[in-house]
Amino acid sequence: MINRFIRYIQRYKGWFGGGAALCLLIGLYTGLLASPPDYYQGEVVRIMYVHVPLAHTSLLAYSVLFGGSIWYLWKRDPLVDNMCQAAATITAMFTGLALVTGSIWAKPTWNTWWTWDPRLVSFAVLLLILAGYMMLRRLVDDPDREGKYAAVLAIVGGVDLPIIKFSVEWWRTLHQPMSFSTRGVSISDDLLVPLLFMSAGCWLLFAYMLMIRTQMLYLTELLQAKKGRLLSQTHFSQSAQ
Amino acid sequence: MPFFKTIRWIVWKDLVCELRSRETISSMLFFALIVILVFSFSFSMDQDAARQLIAGIIWVSFTFTGIIGLGKSFSSELQNDCLEALQISPIPKGAVYLGKVLANFLFMLSVEILLFPLFILFFNLDVVEELGILLLVFLLATLGLSAVGTLFSALTVQIRAREVMLPVLLLPLAVPVMIAAVEATRGTLNGDPYAFYSQWIQLLVVFDIIFTVVSFWLFELILDS
Repeated sequence: MINRFIRYIQRYKGWFGGGAALCLLIGLYTGLLASPPDYYQGEVVRIMYVHVPLAHTSLLAYSVLFGGSIWYLWKRDPLVDNMCQAAATITAMFTGLALVTGSIWAKPTWNTWWTWDPRLVSFAVLLLILAGYMMLRRLVDDPDREGKYAAVLAIVGGVDLPIIKFSVEWWRTLHQPMSFSTRGVSISDDLLVPLLFMSAGCWLLFAYMLMIRTQMLYLTELLQAKKGRLLSQTHFSQSAQ
Repeated sequence: MPFFKTIRWIVWKDLVCELRSRETISSMLFFALIVILVFSFSFSMDQDAARQLIAGIIWVSFTFTGIIGLGKSFSSELQNDCLEALQISPIPKGAVYLGKVLANFLFMLSVEILLFPLFILFFNLDVVEELGILLLVFLLATLGLSAVGTLFSALTVQIRAREVMLPVLLLPLAVPVMIAAVEATRGTLNGDPYAFYSQWIQLLVVFDIIFTVVSFWLFELILDS
């Protein structure tokens, strides 16, 4: 089912890429040029339009990895395994970028590049888990085991992330309250419009990159399999002579 | 074989192996001694500084020592293909997991109990009143480390670069245990009222339950040929 969905949606990936480009352009224009500077933070606040969507997207991307890993362990669909592998790399990219932009934003506002704040620490730990995931993938010889072990790590990490966040939050807190919340929006429309466009753009970009990378990994495996078959055939014909 | 009998046999097997070879616990003990010495060289501490740092030092040395024990837990099964025997034998794999968790828990806890007097001695701690709560924190945190660590010990033993990968995978996931154990230990050693750090003990309980269940479920996939 998921397999067919992935294959089906691949045809429309151009729309995702185009939509991402459009949303990001509108978001960057409204965020960086059209919106007013913040009363307290001045022009510095504009990095929020990049930082917050990146952070959202990395959590969304990890959710895709988490869900895909459960699905893979359940159905053992190699295409889903490719998707998980692709999702992990892209999640690591978004997490890393969120950390870097957050660090740049922290310098003028908190007057430090790095502080042991809950969300910073949680993201750093998330990045470490993803680095472990990518290392693990390269260290298993058998492809079936590779997918299984990687999925196990992604699931344990996904269960652990909320606990990490709570524990670090109790440990110390400095971050400003989240801008989006279920009790209503705490920021004005001028700031909200670019934020929404940038979020949509980042999500579409994630989907687009995920599709391209999944396809690439899938084709690489196909190629390897064909190469292996071809090599064994020539070997066979030579030994037959 | 019934479930609980399997657990008992696995624990018994690990304990007997350990009693005869004395490999794991002695290497853990020596490593921990060296870690403690290195810490006492690297921070020249008076009593006040020691109070601030000691909880972290205790748990860094316990965690690193624990990782040595956890790594040995499954790498010793590689000899004579014992791992394959575990994989193909008709026993519930969840019982193998729980048995290994219990054995690792016992090894780590015994090392911790042997080491803790040294901490008291070296760093002039005053712990007589809070010994009960301290023991509870040790129990819970060690169980949490053992629950996640046993899963990843079984995982990393079957891949390349296993000695490196166990800490690389385990330590980020063990962040909540570390924080909770350090905070609870610090609260206890400072003589704070129990309500100040009871949330950390609750967090440890929650972590132990969640990860014993999750790892119990996932272990079957890892110990599968």
